[in-house]
Amino acid sequence: MDIFNNLILGFHVAASWENILFCFIGVLIGTLIGVLPGIGPTTGIAILIPVTYGMSATTAIITMCGVYYGAMYGGSTTSILINLPGESASVMTMLDGYQMARKGRAGPALGMAALASFIAGTFAVIMLTLVAPPLASYAVSFGPPEYFALTFMGLTLVSALGGDKPLKAYISATLGLLVACVGIDAISGVARFTFNSMNLLDGVGFIGMAIGLFAVSEILVNIEEPMKQVFSDAKLSFRSLFPNLEDWKNSIGAICRGSLLGFFIGTLPGSGATLCSFIAYAVEKRVGKRREKFGTGVIEGVAAPEGANNAAAGGAMVPMLTLGIPSGAATAVMLGALMIHGLRPGPLLFSSNPDFVWGLIASMYIGNVFLVILNMPLLGIWVKLLKVPYKVLIPLILTISATGIFATDNNVFDMWIMFFFGLVGYVMRKLDFPAAPMVLALVIGRLVEMSLRQSLTISHGSISIFFTRPISCTLTIVALLSLFSPLFRILWNRYRRGKKAAT
Amino acid sequence: MKRADLITSIVLLVLSGYVIQEAWQMPPSASFGPGSGFLPFWLGVVLAVFATILFVSAWRHQATEKHSEPVFPGKQALLGITLVLVGLAAYIFLIEILGYLVDTFLFIVYLMKVVEREKWRLTLMVAVITTAALFIIFQFLLQIRLPSNMFGL
Repeated sequence: MDIFNNLILGFHVAASWENILFCFIGVLIGTLIGVLPGIGPTTGIAILIPVTYGMSATTAIITMCGVYYGAMYGGSTTSILINLPGESASVMTMLDGYQMARKGRAGPALGMAALASFIAGTFAVIMLTLVAPPLASYAVSFGPPEYFALTFMGLTLVSALGGDKPLKAYISATLGLLVACVGIDAISGVARFTFNSMNLLDGVGFIGMAIGLFAVSEILVNIEEPMKQVFSDAKLSFRSLFPNLEDWKNSIGAICRGSLLGFFIGTLPGSGATLCSFIAYAVEKRVGKRREKFGTGVIEGVAAPEGANNAAAGGAMVPMLTLGIPSGAATAVMLGALMIHGLRPGPLLFSSNPDFVWGLIASMYIGNVFLVILNMPLLGIWVKLLKVPYKVLIPLILTISATGIFATDNNVFDMWIMFFFGLVGYVMRKLDFPAAPMVLALVIGRLVEMSLRQSLTISHGSISIFFTRPISCTLTIVALLSLFSPLFRILWNRYRRGKKAAT
Repeated sequence: MKRADLITSIVLLVLSGYVIQEAWQMPPSASFGPGSGFLPFWLGVVLAVFATILFVSAWRHQATEKHSEPVFPGKQALLGITLVLVGLAAYIFLIEILGYLVDTFLFIVYLMKVVEREKWRLTLMVAVITTAALFIIFQFLLQIRLPSNMFGL
């Protein structure tokens, strides 16, 4: 019953007034970011890094985690009420949610979204509690070759699964690795790509880069296409939020399937909450009892994707905590924050910092309860919040970001890093280059290089070391398969076209 | 998009050339195992390969593409983005000269008034509240010494 002892330890940590307060603040900000279209959870987490800089690592990550899964709750509100996703992970919720709102059933749709999120979120934390420790203890025996194979696989999976333009994702990841090379080489002490600047000797600041790539570029995109001010005049009483018995009967299967799919697909690097909600909706459309009615406002069409994206947020914690491999942009930024706080992510985290890991996990149980409270009775307030002039947010986000970056190191140079990567991020968005692989590459870049060079030193320069050890061999093969998967797809399409032409 | 891809791939090729050249000049490993130029060198090679693939596929698609949509927005939006970037650059540049309070206040006024053309009342309200709140949070609660000007503000 090790897990129970650990959980008790975790609750002990998470129940300190400080951690409860910041867990609450985290999920509150998360809900806010989820409700407001145009700001994603990654931006919110990135901005929070400097603000939480002075806190203990546990409190800081509890807050950021709260933002992450809180945003999954909040994103459904605008999807349902005004047919505009607050978060990319809530896109599928629009299909049936908005139709329900048009039929006057906005209340049950919103309520079901919150309750499905709660059930799935709690399920995911329980699974995390059960799955993570054995995985971590298994991974403790990893040596440099395994680590290189693992990081390599993480990078290729995030790039190959993260969008429809794998080539551009690979380029983005390669550039990120190059940025990680900037600074003094940790093994030999040689300065690389520093352009004779003292400020670059320590490498490119992660906070500046993350905030630039996500927050600043997001603002530039919003300037370009101003968000329309949107209102909803839906009258929502607290009682109207509760789905009736028939709704539950229709949804319960969808929630279970959504939770399972969301959690397990969410653990894979590169999948992310958005993909999970897509898959959950698609599966439900195939196997659901009322599948032919999907898209006309059936409640399970809300329950499945909302459950899946929350379960995915929990699933994403598994590789991050056990292996130190983030599964997407948001977890990559969190992992970067973890390193800034001096924790070494990886399988040893469970044994070296049990109070941190279990405190975080326990806080997720608490946070989910906070969220269902925040989202059910207070939903009316969130809807009113949409009336806040959107334009106020732009100066707010820019100044918080800039001040926070300055605050972490008292160095104006970091602000220029933010400026530079803001511009780079904007151009990348315009040219369809995903930013997630780049941030991921910067975060794990040092680990990639260290493990690669250590492995090759062990093997005297032969790359066969990655194929002779069973675990690293498996991981390398998965990595290579996903690396070349776009090529397979092209060949397969050509083969099918050729076959069609022949008949 | 395809034209933009062509230009991007050429820029990336130049970049990879620079990276390879730099990595080549890095000192080789003193003892054994790969040295500090090892990863940058291969990253440069990989980048060059990816850029070439991008170039070729963009080149092949360009011939079949009939209408090309512009990637970057029209003049109006571009002006807005330039204004924000210029303002941000000026903000960063001036922060140690004007001091945090004055600089932040002016930056918010600039964003609200020049970029977004808001009314003066809202502009001043947002500027005062945001500046004061950030100053209190960072200077007093988080104990960060924010930059001050020659008058100590």
